[in-house]
Amino acid sequence: MSILPRINLIAGYGGRNSKPPAGIGLLSYLRALLKSKTPRLAIIRPMPSTRLRVRAAALLACMVAAVAGVAAAAGPAQGLKVVRFAFRAVETGFDPQRVDDLYSSAVNGEIFESLLQFDYLARPVRLMPQVAERVPEPEEGGLVYTFHLKQGVYFADDPAFRGRRRELVAGDAVYALKRLRDPRNRAPYAWLVENRIVGLDEAHDAAVQSGAFDYDAPVAGLQVLDRYTLRIRLKRPDFNFLYIFTMPQTAPVAREVIEAYAADTMAHPVGTGPFRLVQWVRRSKIVLERNPVYRGDVLETAYADPKDPIDQRVIRELTGKRLPQLDRVELYPIEEEQPRFLAFMNGEHDLLQETPAAYINQVLPGGHLAPTLARAGVGFQREVAPSITYDLFQMENPVVGGYTPSQVALRRAMVLGHDRGAEIAIVRRGVDVPAQSPVPPGVVGYDAGFNSGAEQDFDPARAQALLDLYGFVDRDGDGFRERPDGSLLVIDYMHSTGGQTARALAELWEKSMRRIGIRLVPRAVQFSDQIRDRKAGKFMLASAAWAADYPDAQNFLQLLYGPYSGDSNDSRFRLPAYDRLYEQALAMPDSPERNALYREMCRLMLAYAPWRLGIDRVFVNLYRPWVLGYKKHPMYHISLRFLDVDLALQQAAAGP
Amino acid sequence: MTAFILRRLWQMVPTLAGVILLVFFLFNWVGGDPALVLAGKVADPATIANIRRQLGVDQPYWVQLWIFVKQVFTFDFGRSWSTNEEVAHVILTRIGPTLTIMVPVMLIGTTLAVLFAVLVAYVRGTLTDRIVMIVATTAMSVSFLVYIIVFQWLFGFRFGIFPVQGWTDDFWTNLTRYAPLPIILAVLVGLAPELRLYRSFFLEELEQDYVRTARAKGLSEARVLLRHVLRNALIPILTNIGIYLPGLFVGSFLLEVFFAIPGLGREIIGAVNRSDFPVIKAVTVYLAMFTMLVNLLVDLAYRFVDPRVTFR
Repeated sequence: MSILPRINLIAGYGGRNSKPPAGIGLLSYLRALLKSKTPRLAIIRPMPSTRLRVRAAALLACMVAAVAGVAAAAGPAQGLKVVRFAFRAVETGFDPQRVDDLYSSAVNGEIFESLLQFDYLARPVRLMPQVAERVPEPEEGGLVYTFHLKQGVYFADDPAFRGRRRELVAGDAVYALKRLRDPRNRAPYAWLVENRIVGLDEAHDAAVQSGAFDYDAPVAGLQVLDRYTLRIRLKRPDFNFLYIFTMPQTAPVAREVIEAYAADTMAHPVGTGPFRLVQWVRRSKIVLERNPVYRGDVLETAYADPKDPIDQRVIRELTGKRLPQLDRVELYPIEEEQPRFLAFMNGEHDLLQETPAAYINQVLPGGHLAPTLARAGVGFQREVAPSITYDLFQMENPVVGGYTPSQVALRRAMVLGHDRGAEIAIVRRGVDVPAQSPVPPGVVGYDAGFNSGAEQDFDPARAQALLDLYGFVDRDGDGFRERPDGSLLVIDYMHSTGGQTARALAELWEKSMRRIGIRLVPRAVQFSDQIRDRKAGKFMLASAAWAADYPDAQNFLQLLYGPYSGDSNDSRFRLPAYDRLYEQALAMPDSPERNALYREMCRLMLAYAPWRLGIDRVFVNLYRPWVLGYKKHPMYHISLRFLDVDLALQQAAAGP
Repeated sequence: MTAFILRRLWQMVPTLAGVILLVFFLFNWVGGDPALVLAGKVADPATIANIRRQLGVDQPYWVQLWIFVKQVFTFDFGRSWSTNEEVAHVILTRIGPTLTIMVPVMLIGTTLAVLFAVLVAYVRGTLTDRIVMIVATTAMSVSFLVYIIVFQWLFGFRFGIFPVQGWTDDFWTNLTRYAPLPIILAVLVGLAPELRLYRSFFLEELEQDYVRTARAKGLSEARVLLRHVLRNALIPILTNIGIYLPGLFVGSFLLEVFFAIPGLGREIIGAVNRSDFPVIKAVTVYLAMFTMLVNLLVDLAYRFVDPRVTFR
């Protein structure tokens, strides 16, 4: 049977009297036919060869037209402002209290509104109200914070509201905070409020006992003073507390919505933000559209830097416009670097955030934008992210841990023996910069003058001298050093199985240590095993990274706070002097005095070397010329409400 | 034949039990603790213990195993631990994209491989045969990943013939716009080994006495090849297709990741990385069942291809 009669059989119009309906293409007809539940039969009759050829030509033409139609349909709809771009990892869902991955949180940040936000243009970052009327002042020495919410803020329409407009009230903010401590939610960001708010931990413990969180029971530290006023009382003074209210994890949610979609809250986000979720093909496509009931916003320019060309451009492009300007946003999770990069280069995407390091030399040869991209009007921004990479020693491990001079000398020698220059030049393609302290640029408490070079920069001669001095010498002549007591010195380096970078870093460690006579054995483990071993302290040396949850040095320095050993302090560093400084700083507002404490803590870290500092991440972000208002915020992965599209420019670039 | 089918179905029970035990113990011994993945970046032991309790991984092994067995027989594997999505929904929504790619790959690949194999078997020993074999061997020696990277760059970006990535919820759009490049890639990569294998099947048949007899009777070469040789070579070809068939449902992880196709292969790898046991369990068990059924169907198909085959 030839292909044509077979197609006729499928289409069901193989007979002489059977024709496709007028005005629709063959593929549309096929589609309609497939959707139809009526079984169709066709008698296959041999056709004369001339007719066969004519039909073959017609079929081919129909298919080409259909493909062309499909291709055209994939482009932006006329007159709509659409932005497309990729995430570099898949999302998990859109229940703000239940997710912790960066990309789901980024989408939540557009659908939901937090009480506070960071100013779009201000650098260093600056707190601004979002659904709160103003940023609360600390009361009672940082123990109490009172939020006054804006009136007339409405949730997006949803059947859960039974046709009524639903205004955001203080109770919604309380409900969200309680959800973070509801054991059933397994909230990954529960630690934001854990051991902080008076009465909330007790409510959590009661829920663990009873199996259900009592949302109607009052919590002493969460007082709803009136419909729009919320007072939060803390267990101890905390001047960084307000930062958590910029995070989507604390964004108010409507209890009716959560209860209506209790089985799958991840798929039913209903917020007060500028966008709403209209389509979600899990792990493939997320489509947001402008929330029709959003009250609108304008660009705040009070804290912009008038000399900054990016700020000037953003102000020029957005002043006088009611935000958001975008009608639709399409987000594509693409884990692999090549398709993500090519999708931008191809014009399929309008933005490329965090350009993969493998393509940096194509994008910025010699540090300048590639001529082809420059000719296409592509803009780029370099961003030093508030995040660091580091390698941590397990301080309770008998081989590399401890606080005795010889153990400190061993760790410091290993840090000095590690070729950080090669890491940046080869593994990081010269993009990132060496971290000078545990506190990265862009966060409050960062000290640009703090230099760790003497303790952290590659100096193999000094490393060897230190090892010799403290008795780590090669006694058996095998080329590797033994411990002062003559026992074997073998360092186990645990790293992630994922990716070329992790493998390259492991090789660099091994090579660097061999150069100073230390035998290091890399061990690649899966992500979950890596967490398990780190939490259990079953490692000697491990790779790690940390990105700011909120832009204060405390978020990084807590990683070395003794009482957090086994929680966030995976190195199990316990130094009373450090802990005292940390506790002191916690009770102080942002001030030069507090910064001095932070500086002293950084010095202690360098002296005892529980970490080897890696790099401060530098990202290169690219955007097409028709994308207006783009400025990467260090704390937000995306800021869609501040983007606009120049439709004329976009259409001109697309061609006729 | 009914007795044969019933016996084979009965034999599936211990095989399935073996699969259940293997998956269960592998996950518990080397699968990692899902609570640690779900707990977030700052988690205290109480939080981790609470998550373990909710997931049921703190239960004795025999209790967990019994739950697993019940899930297999009720076809209800609950919800994904990481996304809270129903496992049945995960599979039903991811299987479509995978099949959109893999079914055409299977059909086109097998057809081309059989046709080319017949042709090169017919001209065996000639320069054409040798060139085809050298090309096939060389093609097999290159990693699939290299093909994907090169083809995606060449045809997706450089020539702009196909989109680099993408997927929609419309079948025809996917089939005509997003699937062609992955399909072409998979067909080309799969062609070389299949061609070599099928060629050897045909060569073996071409040396049989019945071929000499058919030629002696004056039948045309086309008739000898397509009517007699092809039919007799179909049994090993069917066996080979039967082996590959379950793979259709898992898809090609690399294709799905590189072309951002929301298929089952990508989902499985994600589930393994997240220690998402409900998804791993469901996919493994369904795949094992499907493999056993396909093997049974292939065995039954032998009878139709070759009437000499009897079921015992």
